[in-house]
Amino acid sequence: MKKSLTAVSVLAVAVLLTFPVSADSYGKPLSPAQPVKVSELIANPDTYVGKVVKVEGLVTDVCAKRGCWMVLAGDKEFQTIRVKVDDGVIVFPMEAKGKRAVAEGTFTKMELTKEQNLEYQKHQAEETKRPFDPKSVTGGLTIYQIKGVGASIQ
Amino acid sequence: MNWRRVNISLHRDVGYFCAALTVVYAVSGIAVNHTHEWNPNYRLERETRSFAPLAAAAPEETVGALVTALDLPGRPKSFFRQSPQVIDLFYDGWSVRADTAAGTATVERWHERPFLRDANFLHLNQPKKLWTWFADLYAVLLGFLAISGLFILRRKNGFFGRGKWFVLAGVVLPLLFLVLMRYSGPRPVEPGGGRGGMAGEPGRGMRGARP
Repeated sequence: MKKSLTAVSVLAVAVLLTFPVSADSYGKPLSPAQPVKVSELIANPDTYVGKVVKVEGLVTDVCAKRGCWMVLAGDKEFQTIRVKVDDGVIVFPMEAKGKRAVAEGTFTKMELTKEQNLEYQKHQAEETKRPFDPKSVTGGLTIYQIKGVGASIQ
Repeated sequence: MNWRRVNISLHRDVGYFCAALTVVYAVSGIAVNHTHEWNPNYRLERETRSFAPLAAAAPEETVGALVTALDLPGRPKSFFRQSPQVIDLFYDGWSVRADTAAGTATVERWHERPFLRDANFLHLNQPKKLWTWFADLYAVLLGFLAISGLFILRRKNGFFGRGKWFVLAGVVLPLLFLVLMRYSGPRPVEPGGGRGGMAGEPGRGMRGARP
């Protein structure tokens, strides 16, 4: 029995060493495509809607609760793009904040009515525990984001 | 050796093998079930600080001024300006968001929850790769434990005695929830392909007010 356990243990360690766990890659492997600049996406969003894009940048924010999104800074100041992933399929860690990342997915567009925008802003404020004034929402909102399927964080 | 003895022996040993991971998955399951009420992975600390508003300057100079004004332990490993006034500073394990015009800053620190962070890491299959296969094997073994467990006892306490009623209850209750919460009444709309959440939980980045 002891010999069997030893053999199983040695085998398990050998397999683990052969297939190292990578904590820096998330979801599907990234394609060899060249990244699109966030400034380009912002300048011409409708050109990219529905297309698979790859972006890179500094991670400025991460969903603290579920790791279901991260925000990447653009190549220019004041510009960011959010990468949203399905809950549980990919989980971005808080430790990603301040690191550089590459993400790939479908560029999407969503149009929110004023009521939806109000709910959305309220939800965001609750999630980030930041103050929210309903009066600050005066209309609808068009949101572009990447529905991420793969990412790597350095 | 008859099949029942084999069944009991296998159920016993597979049960021993699965015990630890079952507890890990059970604890993690409860933790992630209540994500809307708490953060199952991290404990967040937020501290608000004030400082004398800073004059507009180049980003590098602003970072240096903030390090001094907020008495931060050295320059951050990276930073980003969200707007001309708002700047994020990133350190290992914490970050600062400062409004240089208002003279306010929020220091956010995140601490991994002991045990739970690791349990969730495994339960949500974050390692992927080899762990996926191990977790699949574990799931198969759990299925075996469920089936083999039905046939451990015999007669009045066995499956064909009182056991069948408990099994029936275990089938009916989830079915009831399905009927009530999925197959009756309007189904929730999930725009953006998300799995629930408000409007697929869209992003903050790249947005503009609609005309």
